[in-house]
Amino acid sequence: MPCSLAGRLLATPEGRRLAWQRWDGIYLVYQPSSAETHVFNETTALILRSLEKGPLFAKELKQLTEDSLGIEPGGLGADEFEFATSRLEELGLIDCLDEALAVR
Amino acid sequence: MIVGDLARRELEQRLNGSGLGIQFGPFNLRIRSNLASFAALAHQLYAPYPMLEAEAISDFHVAIASPPGLRRWWRRQASFTLDGRSPFAPYTVEHAFPALEWGINWCVATRAHHLLMLHSAGVERDGQAILFPASPGDGKSTLCTALVHSGWRLMSDEFGLVRPEDGLLLPLPRLIPLKNESIDVIRRFRPAALIGPSFLGTRKGTVAHVQPPADSIRRAQEPAKPRWFVFPRWIAHAPLSLMAMPKSQAFLKVATNAFNYEVLDETAFRLVADMVDHCDCYSLSYSDLDEAVAALDELSRDA
Amino acid sequence: MLEARENRRARELLLTALRTPERLPTLPAADWELLLRVARRVRLLGRIESDLSQAALLEDIPARAAAHLRAARNVIEHRKTLISWEVNRILWALKGIEVPLILLKGSAYLLADLPPARGRIFADVDLMIPEERIAEVEERLVESGWFKTQIDLYDDRYYRVWMHEIPPLRHQERGTEIDIHHRLLPRTSHLRSEPGPLFAAARPLADPRLQILAPADMVLHALVHLFLEGDPDEGLRLRDLVDVHDLLCHFGQLPGFWATLAPRARELGFERPLFYGLHHALRLFATPVPPAVLQEMANAAPAWPIRTLMNHLIARALLPDHPDHPSRLGNLGRWLLYLRSHWLRMPPGLLIRHLSRKAWLRFRGYRKRIDLAQLDLKQQ
Repeated sequence: MPCSLAGRLLATPEGRRLAWQRWDGIYLVYQPSSAETHVFNETTALILRSLEKGPLFAKELKQLTEDSLGIEPGGLGADEFEFATSRLEELGLIDCLDEALAVR
Repeated sequence: MIVGDLARRELEQRLNGSGLGIQFGPFNLRIRSNLASFAALAHQLYAPYPMLEAEAISDFHVAIASPPGLRRWWRRQASFTLDGRSPFAPYTVEHAFPALEWGINWCVATRAHHLLMLHSAGVERDGQAILFPASPGDGKSTLCTALVHSGWRLMSDEFGLVRPEDGLLLPLPRLIPLKNESIDVIRRFRPAALIGPSFLGTRKGTVAHVQPPADSIRRAQEPAKPRWFVFPRWIAHAPLSLMAMPKSQAFLKVATNAFNYEVLDETAFRLVADMVDHCDCYSLSYSDLDEAVAALDELSRDA
Repeated sequence: MLEARENRRARELLLTALRTPERLPTLPAADWELLLRVARRVRLLGRIESDLSQAALLEDIPARAAAHLRAARNVIEHRKTLISWEVNRILWALKGIEVPLILLKGSAYLLADLPPARGRIFADVDLMIPEERIAEVEERLVESGWFKTQIDLYDDRYYRVWMHEIPPLRHQERGTEIDIHHRLLPRTSHLRSEPGPLFAAARPLADPRLQILAPADMVLHALVHLFLEGDPDEGLRLRDLVDVHDLLCHFGQLPGFWATLAPRARELGFERPLFYGLHHALRLFATPVPPAVLQEMANAAPAWPIRTLMNHLIARALLPDHPDHPSRLGNLGRWLLYLRSHWLRMPPGLLIRHLSRKAWLRFRGYRKRIDLAQLDLKQQ
């Protein structure tokens, strides 16, 4: 159940309590709440880190991620972005805030 | 006192009675068996291992014995038991020795969750250890056997036991089970190595056990610091190559292959991340054992 | 003689460790060794660890024993994380549908932070939801990444037609199984188990989407589990009686708890399990049960020959044998109680079919023993 680009996203408490290890542009992330170790690429890691500061509309988040990656606006594919966010949501690291706006 | 101090008959009586108490690195075992063939092999291959003091607590009570009941008459079998229970189907009696050796590894792998257990061979020199994480068919046992018969100390052929308190590697210098072609490779490489009989047609093919050098067994309570991860691969006719491996890749290989990475939660993540961070990580491909040993010797000299 | 003496020694060590953990630092090494073996067999190593840890005595016991306890604790802590997380993900998957969700057994103790959660091993997530909502919940979970575990047609039918739960679900990426119940006992049980009153009395947790059984109901369910879900090898699980003891000590402090317990047992049809449970908790752990409750329960006791026989069997089946001296009598007692628990759960015709099938599967070695041919150590 991915959040649509119109919804607001937020890091869950579990998504703020992670152990990070970065090597060679790859992030190994340990999630104490689930005892899982994740492997994130730069994009996924940046999305999660941006949401630690507070909720963002999906559109804003996408732009912010593109900025941080140093690519032009719109350079990040919508499908890649949505894949990353829905995966993060499935892992319980981020959440959709506005239920009414979320497309099921 | 070591097992070799016992007369063969005395050893057999212990195996038949209250059990032979023997120390394998951090673990105390009590072994029982009513099989004369097992006693003969234990007398030979376990000779350098220390026996337990009277007051010592045994960690695992294991037995390899013919099962009770009618079955023992129509087919001679040996059953491995842990605390009186038998987790596996019985073996033919000829394979009693490898079955017990394997069963002891199983006890460690399923119970020693106070330690992080990597699936890895390990050798040590000057207090620094190389770990050889396993992937099937890579010949880590062969390389490890060659190294321990070339001046390195055996930590373990199967378990990278990491103590969570200080991240040090604990030795578990057990017999090294060689499989199939490796048996002859090692016979040629080091004719003086003590190798037990070949067991044909086990569930893992032909297996024979190499006794580690006496020095490795004597120093079985002496931990070492992990210094290198080397991921070995034996490839026929390949030239020697020792190449740096990306740390993220090393981490994933080590973590996904460990026996209990999952069980130790964040402790395991931190331990493996620290180890990989502090160790130099290499992938090694080789076809010639002497060349591989020389390359690793050089690695340790440069450190 | 040796067998009887050694078995007595093993049981006494275990009971002493559970009743008076503060005496463990003086235990000789040989006794520690035996205690570790018997406590492991009944899965109470974690309990002993937790008692010693609370009393700050872990430093005062032999290091080798402490290592075994530490290992048990590490496994338990890990299982706790997995169970809590599975519940978290279930709630996420069920977002937007309002369904009463009662946590049962270990999952309830853990999420409600009740005393039995301490040092206890957790296997699965156990939930109870109204039967008419099961299809909807199952569908939602399957859409969100869970799958129905592979079981054969016999087992599937057995579950759906006769049981009190559906075949377990498991998430594709995680190992924890979810058991969804709609009542506490199989439909076929000789004991009544209408779930309506349980739902009506259930209590919400801090997270209002989750509920647990009311105190008396929770105690009765723990007892039903103890006496009716036996295992032919293990007999009655001593750790289930430890749960009951913990719950009674905890809820016993609540005003009105003791007054409602016996009437509730009568109402739900669980008087016998309560009678036997109180008797053995008192005998083994000196559980502080008010005399008035014991007197009230005396009326629910079966006639003396049955009572005496049952109490004797239960006493044998609750405590483990010495691992090196298994007692035939103990094994017989465990087997008889296993038969009885199935007797109470199923009508005789079905029972014979079910047990003969179980025996056949065991004879073929099905799930009973691992064949090493396909296994590497790693997969254990």
